[in-house]
Amino acid sequence: MAEKRKVPASEGLFIWPSSVPGLMASRCVSCGTCYFPKTFTCQNPDCTKKNVEDIALKGRGKLWSYTIVHYQPPSPYISPGPFKPFYIGLVEFPEGIRILGQLTGTDNKDVTLDMDVELVIEKLYDDADGNEAVTWKFKVL
Amino acid sequence: MKDVCIIGAGMHPWGKFPDKSFEELGIFAVREAFKDAGVEWKDIQFMACSSLTWEGMMGIVGGNSISDALGGRGIPVQNCHNACATSGSVLRACCQAVASGSADLALALGVDKSPGGFFPVVAPNPTDLDFRRLRAVGIPNPSYWALMLRRRMAEFGTTEVHLAKIKVKNSKHGVHNPNARFRREFTLEEVLASPMVTDPLRLYEICATGDGAAAVVVCSKDMARRLTNKPIIVAGCSLSSAMFGDPNIPIPRLSTTARPTAPALSESVSAAKLAYEEAGIGPGDVDFAELPDNSSWHELVYTEIAGFAKPGEAERLLDEGATSLGGRFPINPSGGSSSMGEAPGAQGLAMVCELVLQLRGQAGLRQVEGAKVGYSQVYGAQGCNSAVILKI
Repeated sequence: MAEKRKVPASEGLFIWPSSVPGLMASRCVSCGTCYFPKTFTCQNPDCTKKNVEDIALKGRGKLWSYTIVHYQPPSPYISPGPFKPFYIGLVEFPEGIRILGQLTGTDNKDVTLDMDVELVIEKLYDDADGNEAVTWKFKVL
Repeated sequence: MKDVCIIGAGMHPWGKFPDKSFEELGIFAVREAFKDAGVEWKDIQFMACSSLTWEGMMGIVGGNSISDALGGRGIPVQNCHNACATSGSVLRACCQAVASGSADLALALGVDKSPGGFFPVVAPNPTDLDFRRLRAVGIPNPSYWALMLRRRMAEFGTTEVHLAKIKVKNSKHGVHNPNARFRREFTLEEVLASPMVTDPLRLYEICATGDGAAAVVVCSKDMARRLTNKPIIVAGCSLSSAMFGDPNIPIPRLSTTARPTAPALSESVSAAKLAYEEAGIGPGDVDFAELPDNSSWHELVYTEIAGFAKPGEAERLLDEGATSLGGRFPINPSGGSSSMGEAPGAQGLAMVCELVLQLRGQAGLRQVEGAKVGYSQVYGAQGCNSAVILKI
């Protein structure tokens, strides 16, 4: 049986395919502020030069906060099957940016504030064409 | 704000009215406000109205739809969409028209109709952040609040009982509000037994959304003295936006770069500061307040943002009963959004109408004793915020 083709659930947000997953972000060349999704300009009002460069946010971050979603979110959210509650985390990267994403690997694990998590790319749902739609998630370590 | 007064206020009840157009709701509120003020549509020289999100093109120019229905007279009609601060912006535009001398009498109208359940995306555009946060992450609005609430619980020891108590308190107030959609007391047990929506927020700790309309008539202090013996002075009406580095992620963004220089909910902190500065008073001069309770988290943090409690102290005020009717500082005597249901574009003016009623001593069983100065503030979902201070 052929493996399903994987497609990003949303374009332009993460490096795909890649051996090491990364979020496609921007960093200001002058003040170092990072932005996700990518931006065309630095948004720091005290920054004089506004040039931004592409960077990839990879690896580990700290779980700044989390919640568990118990009701299916509205469209355009697509559920992988009959709705099951899932975790959402807000993760702080060493670059000083906090990013939202689902958590994964939470079964039989204690989820606690400030724990380490790792950026992964994982299946979100099967799309109408039979492809596997993937997105970034944070794996609990 | 130089010498601007409110001389009339009117509302359509809050609730769900699928058989009524937004124009009908709006005109009801406008006519109530005109009756209250003793003025007519022909006396109005400037109108500002909420721009509705979910009622198509006619809703986007809602003010024109309604002024046409009242009878087109060619006066300036300004539509405004500023998310939760829509009503405050509309009121501010009227106050500025009067203060500048460009209008003697102005009409501020907030009207909104909400689709049921979670708010849908406005445009099905895959690169729109609102689309992306639902498609790629699946984060609904209340989850943004739950994330901040979890940190608050860790930092200040907020318990699930505190969250439930906000609902219980406001439901007791809402019983006495004929314009509220939900008018029964909730018990602590049933709030705590309600299903979890986004941990740690439960169903009854998140307000429902709905329809509503509220209008006020604004004029100069001189004119107010001629028209009424109970003018309500607009001491402050602020508008603000978010600061770079705010640790609170505004809906529908995917990230934030927190800076120690920016407070959480920076647009709300600014709106409070600007309103107090304009009014020339401080939180200690205020007798009662209408604050956001889109969820229990909101009322706790806004109690502190508005300066009525130090950081981390809102829970203690709640436990002491200080913020209940009869307490030393009632919050949400109207019953709040949790009793009214939230009609986003109109909510700020509903709060203003409550302030007016209270300051006139006309609030009946939910009257705040000796009310002389009232404060209202909305939530700032997308970083838009407004605070209003009224006094007699």
